[in-house]
Amino acid sequence: MKNRLLYRILAGYVALILFTAMVMGLMYARQIKTELIDGVKNDLIAQARITALLRIGDIERKLSHLANISRSRVTLIDASGRVKADSEKDLAQMDSHLNRSEIQEARIKGQGDAIRYSRTLGVDMLYIAFPITEGSEVTGYIRFARPLFEVKKSIDQQYSYIYKCLLIAIIPSFIIAFLLARKLISPIEKVISYTHKVCSGEASGSLLIESNNDVGQLEKDINRMVQEQQERVRAAYEEKAKLEAAFASMTEGVLVINNQNRIEFLNRSLKDILGNEGITDILYKTPLEAFRNVELQDALDLFRDSGGPVLREISLGQETPIILDVTISAVHGLPEEEQKKMMVFHDVTRLKKLEKMREDFVANVTHEIKTPLTAIIGFIETLEEGAIKEEVTAKKFLHIISENAHRLGRLVDDLLILSSIELGEMKLRFENVSIANVIDSVLPMFETKAAEKSLTVEKHISDELPLILADRDKMAQILVNILDNAVKFTPSGGKISISAVQDDSGFVVVKVTDTGMGIQKMEIPRLGERFYRADKTRSRELGGTGLGLSIVKHLMKAHNGSIDIESQVGKGSTFSLAFPINRLQKA
Amino acid sequence: MAEKRHTSTHYEKELRDIKEGLIYLGALAEKAISLATEALVDRNAELARKVICDDNVIDQLDVEIEEKCIRILALRQPTARDLRYITTAIKINGHLERIGDMAANIAEKAILLSEEPPMKPYIDIPRMAEIARSMIKESLDALVNEDADLARKVRMEDETIDNLNEQVFRELLTFMLEDPKKIHRALIIMQISKSLERISDHAVGIADMVMYMVTGKIVRHEPICQA
Repeated sequence: MKNRLLYRILAGYVALILFTAMVMGLMYARQIKTELIDGVKNDLIAQARITALLRIGDIERKLSHLANISRSRVTLIDASGRVKADSEKDLAQMDSHLNRSEIQEARIKGQGDAIRYSRTLGVDMLYIAFPITEGSEVTGYIRFARPLFEVKKSIDQQYSYIYKCLLIAIIPSFIIAFLLARKLISPIEKVISYTHKVCSGEASGSLLIESNNDVGQLEKDINRMVQEQQERVRAAYEEKAKLEAAFASMTEGVLVINNQNRIEFLNRSLKDILGNEGITDILYKTPLEAFRNVELQDALDLFRDSGGPVLREISLGQETPIILDVTISAVHGLPEEEQKKMMVFHDVTRLKKLEKMREDFVANVTHEIKTPLTAIIGFIETLEEGAIKEEVTAKKFLHIISENAHRLGRLVDDLLILSSIELGEMKLRFENVSIANVIDSVLPMFETKAAEKSLTVEKHISDELPLILADRDKMAQILVNILDNAVKFTPSGGKISISAVQDDSGFVVVKVTDTGMGIQKMEIPRLGERFYRADKTRSRELGGTGLGLSIVKHLMKAHNGSIDIESQVGKGSTFSLAFPINRLQKA
Repeated sequence: MAEKRHTSTHYEKELRDIKEGLIYLGALAEKAISLATEALVDRNAELARKVICDDNVIDQLDVEIEEKCIRILALRQPTARDLRYITTAIKINGHLERIGDMAANIAEKAILLSEEPPMKPYIDIPRMAEIARSMIKESLDALVNEDADLARKVRMEDETIDNLNEQVFRELLTFMLEDPKKIHRALIIMQISKSLERISDHAVGIADMVMYMVTGKIVRHEPICQA
């Protein structure tokens, strides 16, 4: 592009030079020609004038002589135009010359001249004619003619000389023209390369202004423009960065959908939320393509139809779905054709879980209380209706009633323990406790039950376990609950082993392993929930309250310990209880 | 000129509508499978009935999409790539509708089983359902991204489901040999397993069509080689 400008300027110069040279050459050549012809003409005029002073008869006689001396063709014509004598041509072939322009001119003005192309000689001829007078009467005309050979030759010579001169002059002119054009172009080129850099965004600094002319002004303007532009871009970036920072620091996920129904923007929180669900790379997709979620699409359709903000709850993911509150609203302040939608995602998974746990709790408590209560009421009514009189039956019924009443009692006890822990009302009496002691005190409680199911109970406790800071009674309760579960859920002939070791990170770990039915992996995280039962029917049959592990979990927390459950369905489970070692005592 | 452009963007929109419809249908089918399995595992007859009822939506959408495709074929007379796209859409639509039916079948079986005592916890069936569901998702991902590699991957996953189906069959056979009272329930579960296997076949069908759409090659009856 820049080359074209250079060539254009150069071409202009060249045209100008060539035109000037041509005009000059032509004018000069013309001038020279005129001068040369004038020379010949004056010569001929002088000769003809002298000759015209002679009388016709004399001229006629000395015609060839005259012609020789004057190196011209001499023609004598009488007053009527008839050729009387010619130095070169045969008279017979010549017609009347009266109408020749030089003769006419001579007749009227007293002197005539003409340049004509002679067919006979094939060259331009210069004719000069004078009237011959005797007294006042014209008796004839004398005409001198000379071919313009020599003139032509010298003109040609002059031409070639002129051309040579011009050629010599033109070459340096070209060079000068080229240099001039270059000089004119170079600042423009500089401007072009600078603006090019600005366009591709790598501009730094400004143009160096070298001249005071128009280009200099242009450079100044460009500098100012670029500066302003950069300032504006910087401001825009800053604004954008602010916005992005605001969006990024939000805990809610934000997503903007453009008028083409494509996802245009999403903030970091949303990326985090979705990334955990394996949804990535959703930019410029439609929401349906990106999320594949029916509820979300329905919400979007509702928004499109109603136009008002829409609030919906959707769940994403399969194994452990996350529940999101989605608010869809229009982005305001945009022109009609650029309508955008904004979706704000709020992760309510935890809230929903807590809500569900509360609901479950109420439902469970009622259910758990109601079952024994129904039995108690039922059997009491039967007794009232007369069964009391049959001693055997009555005793059986009373036994059932008492069993159920005890179960109720246990449930209430467990609930009381739980709520007191949760409310923080329970006071733990910490003391230095030997784990081996506690285990030994607890194990005999299960001897009978284990024997009934012919379970083998093994005990591996390392010697010299450090003491731990704990509430002895609560610790016993933890172990009772865990062992109770182990015994309950291990089928006859199974094995339960209990071990206690010190690990490297300052904990004493008690492990209770059974060969029971095991727990499904997805159930494990929920085990600590109140009333949660991995196997709903079995567990209740076995007389559990559904609160045992929940209490264990809370008590372990109160002891700054932790509980870890590993299990394989059909093979058995391992409950690991980690108690922190009392460091003070150790020191 | 303006008129022509308008027409072409309109056409574009029609094509996009069909794609969106397919994805929505796919999402519905996925949801149906998940819910049917959930109903089965939780012995939730009410949820199962909802799945059966929701199948109507799938059927309706199926008809809608097919009509749209036929309208485009009739009015726009698509050629080359667009023609491939429309034929693919029609077939995928059919597959998805059948998947919906299968899910409804599973839900029906779930109702039957909820009335019988439980036999054993479900382990392989939910796993099969999850794999089948992810196969549908991946095959539709392949459609969205026009990704032939992903479609090829879906073809390979079919084998896992086939293996699981056989495993379930063998396990149920032992139950039936053990106790004739369990035969009825075992047969129902077997049908469920078969339905899930069929669903995965449909997912492979979708993947094959995506490969056809992207590459123009019909791979339907080619053996799946483990590359």
